[in-house]
Order: sequence, then structure tokens, then C-alpha cells
Amino acid sequence: MADQNTFHLIIASVGETFFDGAASSATFPTSNGEITVLPHHEAFVTTLQAGKILVHAPSHEAKVFEVTSGVLEISANRATVLL
Amino acid sequence: MASLKNIKLKIQSYKKTGTVTHAMEAVSAVKMRKSQERALGGRSYAAAALSILERLSGTVEIARHSLLQERPGKTCFLMITSDKGLAGSLNSGIIRRVEREISQRGLDKSNVVILAIGRRGGDFFANRGFDVREKYENLSDGISEADIRKVTEKILELHSAKEIGTCHVVYQNFISTFEQQPSVRQLIPITKNMIAEMIAGIRPVRGKYAPQKDESVHAPAFYTIEPDADSVLAVLLPRLLNIAVFHALLESKASEHSARMVAMKSATDKAKEMAHLYTRQFNKVRQAAITREVSEITSGIEAMK
Repeated sequence: MADQNTFHLIIASVGETFFDGAASSATFPTSNGEITVLPHHEAFVTTLQAGKILVHAPSHEAKVFEVTSGVLEISANRATVLL
Repeated sequence: MASLKNIKLKIQSYKKTGTVTHAMEAVSAVKMRKSQERALGGRSYAAAALSILERLSGTVEIARHSLLQERPGKTCFLMITSDKGLAGSLNSGIIRRVEREISQRGLDKSNVVILAIGRRGGDFFANRGFDVREKYENLSDGISEADIRKVTEKILELHSAKEIGTCHVVYQNFISTFEQQPSVRQLIPITKNMIAEMIAGIRPVRGKYAPQKDESVHAPAFYTIEPDADSVLAVLLPRLLNIAVFHALLESKASEHSARMVAMKSATDKAKEMAHLYTRQFNKVRQAAITREVSEITSGIEAMK
């Protein structure tokens, strides 16, 4: 799973999981502005607003997800987005 | 004794019924498998949301939120039944369970609000003069997020209007293909117990969908929360309701299809048995007619001698 340079990212909605795997960085549109999360981020919870999530992963090209709202939670090198 | 033609018609009709019920059985079997797979698909989301709340609850004072507090008001029952019958005791089980909950809590028509998913349950309580506030029918098996939102938004609307104080969902818990159990789960107020129950319920104990290993993550001692705990909870808690409703719906769908499959299986067996029985009778009557004819002919020949 996640080595030194990646963290585990899950992006899911009620019926569907959009992303579940290792990411090297991810940018989220939070209610306080855009933030970019790198591996080993501190424990953090925030709400998302409408915008785009940009995920960079070592194994494939950058991915973009459109969101309208959601919750982002980060702890123990795992980031979880609930749409 | 019934005429040959009548018996023949009966045999045909039993055979036709058997074909139909056999087809329904096969369809239900496929739908059942799909529902079970969907239940698995929703698991990672549910587990993630629940664990966030679980971890948050350790670090933040979450009890202030209105969805987490006991509040006076009417009791809301969200009952999940099927739109169609032919599924054994599935729907009557739910209806009986709701009636029992109502009488056990000492409630009556004046302080119960019913939201019905599925035609069967809604009709039953509407006919008995209960306040069936909303009926959701024809939800497809591929339950969409929009469907669930409609339901949870209604619940939240009733709750924020201070009309209802508590809300429970009554649904068929899927235990196995042959066993379903009417179950009640509290939706509002959201409690720690309920969350723990949900985590336990969402992950099956055994079978191929059972968890491989302990996936729990320890709660960090401290969270940075932006912008503040209240606004995070305001987003997170409705999602938790979504999960609870979604999970109950999936369980109900899986139960519905298994119950129907089993009911149709026994109907097919019975139809076969009846067709067999009537074929016997048909042969007997036919043989009797032949014997009679033969004896008439021989007696005619005798008379001519």
C-alpha cells in the first residue's frame, strides 16, 4: 500500500467508490479555499465545496473528479473523501 | 368424475403456472445476487463515514448537534416493503413489526408519522387512518443516490420543523437466502451505539464478503478541524443518515428477492406436484372410458349373436 511518498486516498459516494488507492498528492476545494494534501499530512477534517479534486498518483495520470459538496478527513496517512 | 377435457385444461393451467413461477424464480435469483453485490459496493463508503464519526466523536464535543439529541415530538417510522407481492411473509413481517413497535411504545395515530418505501406497507397504514406522509414507489434495484437523498431530505425536513423527535427505519434484514428478519434501527437521534451497530451490521460476519482483516484505524489524539466542528457535522451527519437508509434499502432488496425466489420455488414445486396428480387422474378417467367403450362394444357383439 502506501509507501513513504504516497498516501492512501478513498473518494466515495453512497453507492459508488470512485477512487481507492495510493496517491502522491491531491488538491481539494475546501470551504476555506483550495488545499493540496501531501503524504503524512496532519490529522485534519474539513468540508468541501463545489469544485474539482485533482489527484496525482504514481501509477497513472492525474485524475480529476467534480464535486459539489463533501467531507474530507485525513488521519494516519489516509485521506477519505465522502461526497 | 370430472370430464377428460376439464382435467386436461387443469393440467395445462398448472403447467403454465409452473412455467411462470419458474421464470420468476430465475429472475429473482439473478436480482438477489446483484443486490448482494451492491451491498458490498457500498461498504467502503459506509465504513469510511462511520469511522470518521467514530474518530471525531473521541476528539470533539459532538453532542451539541440537534440530530444527536433526544427531542420531544412525533415518532417517525420509515418502513421498507416491496411494491409487489408474491414474496411470502416478507411484507406482512414488516407491517406486523411496525404495529408492534407502535403499541410497545404506547403510540397511536396522532403521534406517528409514517414514510413508506414500497407500495405494500404504505397502503396498509393509509387504509387504517395513519399519517402516511410520503410514499416512495418503484425504486429500482440499482438504488441511486438521488432516491436516497429524497428520503433523507424528507426526514431532515420533518426533524428541523420539530415535527418529529425520533425516527426509526423498519426493514428486512438479510441473513441468508432462506432467512430474513424484520429489524428496527434508530435513525434519529444518532447515537454512538447506533454507529457501532451499523458498523457491525454492514460487515457480514462470514461468507465471501466478510472482512479479511481488522481495518480499523486508531483515532488521532487531535484533529485540526476547518472551519469548525459544527459545520463539519452539518455535512457529515446527513451523510450518515444516507448510509443508514441506503444500507436498510439494500438489505430489504436482497431480502425481497430471496424471499420471492423461495416463494416461487415452492410454487413451482407445488405446480409440478399438482400437474402430476391430475395427470394420474386423467389417465384413470381415460382408462375408465376405454374400458367402458370396450365393454359396450363386446356387449353389443354378444347381443347380435
